[in-house]
Amino acid sequence: MNQFEIRRVLIERGAENDSLSKRIIEKLHNIPIEIVESNDLALREDIEEMDKNSLRLIHYKGEFLKPCPGTRRYICCGYQILNVGINCPMECSYCFLQSYVNQPSLRLFTNLEDKLNVIGEFIDNHPDRIFRIGTGEFTDSLSLNYITGWTDFLLPFFSFRKNCILELKTKTSFIKEIINTRYRKRIIVAWSLNTSRIIANEEGKTASLKERIISAQECQKAGFIIAFHFDPLINYPGWENEYEEIIQLLEKYIDPASIIWISIGSFRYMPDLKWRILRRFPGTNIFNGEFVTGLDGKQRYFKPIRVKMYANLSERLKKWYDNLGIYLCMESDDVWEQSLGWSPKNSSTLSGYLDNRVRLLMPN
Amino acid sequence: MTEKKLLKSSLVNVTVSDIDLKPGPFCMSFNFNLEPLKASIEKFGVINPPYLLKSPDNHFMVVAGYQRLMAVKELGWHNIVCNTLPDAFSLFNALLFNLNDNLIHRQLNNIEKGMILQRLTRFTSTEDIVTNFMPILGIPSNKHQFELFLGLNELEERIKVSVAMERLPIKVAGLMRNIGKNDRLEINDLFTSLKWSFNQQWETIQWIKEIASREGRSIKDIIDSKDIQGVLQNNTMNKPQKVKAIIKRLKFMRFPSLSHAEKLFNKGISNLSLPLGVKIIPPSFFEGIDYRLEIVFRKGEDLKGKLDNLYNLPELERITDFWKGI
Repeated sequence: MNQFEIRRVLIERGAENDSLSKRIIEKLHNIPIEIVESNDLALREDIEEMDKNSLRLIHYKGEFLKPCPGTRRYICCGYQILNVGINCPMECSYCFLQSYVNQPSLRLFTNLEDKLNVIGEFIDNHPDRIFRIGTGEFTDSLSLNYITGWTDFLLPFFSFRKNCILELKTKTSFIKEIINTRYRKRIIVAWSLNTSRIIANEEGKTASLKERIISAQECQKAGFIIAFHFDPLINYPGWENEYEEIIQLLEKYIDPASIIWISIGSFRYMPDLKWRILRRFPGTNIFNGEFVTGLDGKQRYFKPIRVKMYANLSERLKKWYDNLGIYLCMESDDVWEQSLGWSPKNSSTLSGYLDNRVRLLMPN
Repeated sequence: MTEKKLLKSSLVNVTVSDIDLKPGPFCMSFNFNLEPLKASIEKFGVINPPYLLKSPDNHFMVVAGYQRLMAVKELGWHNIVCNTLPDAFSLFNALLFNLNDNLIHRQLNNIEKGMILQRLTRFTSTEDIVTNFMPILGIPSNKHQFELFLGLNELEERIKVSVAMERLPIKVAGLMRNIGKNDRLEINDLFTSLKWSFNQQWETIQWIKEIASREGRSIKDIIDSKDIQGVLQNNTMNKPQKVKAIIKRLKFMRFPSLSHAEKLFNKGISNLSLPLGVKIIPPSFFEGIDYRLEIVFRKGEDLKGKLDNLYNLPELERITDFWKGI
């Protein structure tokens, strides 16, 4: 896949002297750079196009490490988000950021490296906890890494900490930088997977399914622990066969023994997101399924449809390898029981289950 | 003291055939009824002379008074006294002149508002229109609304008439822009032949689009299906009943699994022979796991009797499974 085109860099006043700003300016020396004021008050309507060709460098004043907000009344995994930036250069039609982000451009937080000591102190002060941390919630972990060099400082920082892991979630094949480092401990590289049809129609500017799986194979061969996320599953005629094709590719290229976990989640969205998606992607078919209002107010597939999809996929994955750390993302106890045959019952047990996967596959 | 700007125009007797009466660059009239105006002109003449601007080909363009000119043409007049604006009067000013004239004298319909926005785009930036013109037209000042109103100009005459007459809400018309011509005319006819509320139209258009997309059929095909046509041609139903029946049939097509589950659950409940005044309410869309029992009673004795009755119903344990056979 190709690198993304950045047409301009906007540096917000106050971010000029941050280490990441300097690094980015050095890398993008041919791109126009402007010093701008903060645009905290930008109007929602102004960002319909998201302005994904501009990098906006921001001296972030909020907390860098935050628990994943999860969702009300469903079981969540207790993940921590390392907030490196917001927005991503890819164009997934279903992306929740389209209604979550109220400001334009690819927003990168330039004082991240300078604040790592605070995060480190917090993690070190809780030696009994395992922190499962990811950078791939509000952006893609690797899509801009060739510009930001995030992994140059995040990998050494997390690699030496015994009570945490850093998961780099991506839909790219940009693995050269991480493979070239010497850091493997406590680092997980994860790919979001979907059928070739969904990737072609709904995940614009991302790597193909095969590119993602080959990248995972290369990372595995280079000594990384890997993970996969089947999220969002999309229900459409023929989904069973096309999700089966993904598993056949996994069987061909991946050693299942070093997969730490595989999450499964189905497409869900806040009602307002539908209109934003239809404006930006009028040809999308993702709303054709049978959606009902869930307990958290989000639209989800009618429960028996979700159960059928989860059961089908997890049974097939288990046939490949029985110890994959499969879990459901934001689902209810009864859906867990009906589709996987067991349930953690609550978020804290699910958290414990995933912590144990860390202990098992990434012993100190 | 600021000097007042006076508009310099001259009253001229103009031959009607010299006036270009196609809706021109300043026209903002759509779906008007000329009859009352014609009656007034026949009785009192043209009280306010229209304003014209000379075009490069020596014809006259209508700046203000389009409906008056259409009326006199229909009345068979050959000449009319009009105000002609100076040649140096800019086209943008002519548009603003007519806009102000219309804003003072009448209520504009949504198609006319769309026409105004479209005509403004020839002279000024989107930002200027959104910030300075949309508020005076009573449209929320944002780009999305701008595009919505502008898009109305692309719709067919029949649909525009429905919007102008408020039989089709602008938001619903907005959804029609991404649908093919024949399909949207079919939807327009469905919505205008019966009486629908906004919510009913909004839900229905989405369902029809999604059913068509999922099943690889055209919207026309769905509306022409036996199910929908059966309702439309049913002479025993009134219009609101037809709307409800169409929505019910579309819901079944759009949500087949959910509808089937609801049917199974209701059938299971009706087979239970629940005591009178007892209702069992499933979780919304069967998403949660909590069912509710509602008992209507007047006396404690009555309640006790109903509870006894319920206690002895053998099928009660299976109640949450009624819908699970889908």
